[in-house]
Amino acid sequence: MTTASHTIQGLASAKDLFALTKPRVMSLVIFTALCGLLAAPGDIHPVIAFTAILAISLGAGASAALNQWYESDIDAIMKRTSQRPLPAGRMDRETALHFGIGLSVFSVLLMGVAVNWFSAIFLAFSIFFYAVVYTIWLKRSTPQNIVIGGAAGAFPPAIGWAAVTGDVTMMPFLLFAIIFFWTPPHFWALALFMNSDYSKAGVPMMPVVAGRQSTRKQIFGYSLILAAVAIAPFAFGLAGVVYGAVAIVLSGIFCALAWRVCRSNTTRPDDMGSEKRLFKFSILYLFALFAAVVADRIIMA
Amino acid sequence: MSEIDSDKAPMTPEEQKVYQARQKQRAIIMACLLLFMVVLFYLITIVKIGSGS
Repeated sequence: MTTASHTIQGLASAKDLFALTKPRVMSLVIFTALCGLLAAPGDIHPVIAFTAILAISLGAGASAALNQWYESDIDAIMKRTSQRPLPAGRMDRETALHFGIGLSVFSVLLMGVAVNWFSAIFLAFSIFFYAVVYTIWLKRSTPQNIVIGGAAGAFPPAIGWAAVTGDVTMMPFLLFAIIFFWTPPHFWALALFMNSDYSKAGVPMMPVVAGRQSTRKQIFGYSLILAAVAIAPFAFGLAGVVYGAVAIVLSGIFCALAWRVCRSNTTRPDDMGSEKRLFKFSILYLFALFAAVVADRIIMA
Repeated sequence: MSEIDSDKAPMTPEEQKVYQARQKQRAIIMACLLLFMVVLFYLITIVKIGSGS
């Protein structure tokens, strides 16, 4: 193999192993899991809470490693991902696979032994869902791939909640639904101005398969569902006015930005200001909404 | 360990140096992680005993 000299006999550097866990994605996982944990009713010892967040983060890192193990071929084609450890030839695939499986097993066992086995099984299912159902099975076969991938990314707050209560009720289900319906508009906005890369890699991303205009309409459609789901905790009396006010205002802005995307018909990435604005705002939206869940619970208590 | 092993054909002396440096770095990180886990499991045990579960 030509990469042998780069990987130095298969010994990957610690830096590359860390990069394999997608640390930036992990920061969102840690944040949403922590919010789920803090919003849950009941007491959890800080050491157990820390361990739960650690296990969820390691599980997310394991999923990311398995994802990159399987996707090194398409990562090599796309500019955004071509410098990841595998496509850049700094690590062999076997190392990534072993690292991913090892981390998966460890994170689930840690969760089970230290926290509870319900959340451990939940965590195992989320890793399986992301690595097998999304990455291996559906990502390359359906343009709804992002919707399904969104489900994988939506598990952390529900697992964080389950770490405290040992079950899943309406509120964690709604937290799951918020990320689930947030992911398509967030990612498709990015995919619109990164279109050429996905088509080159042959990934059936919505703008590639259904066209830009259909994607723009779907972005707006999902934004409306997102707004309804985001306001639901307040409407059902599961969260107070602090959360309700934040959810209503931010969802209104989100829908307005999505409406602009829906009305746009430009094909040049340079002109896609509204798509870029929606993408940037969507990140702020999710952080603010989950922070509001926690703030609301602290203030109401 | 610092001696250059000429029997390992695919590696040049420079590569072997990088390899050994990387091994050392990984070993140090692994030691730190193990130490962290020892402390964490100690604390978890104390909490579990304290709560009676």
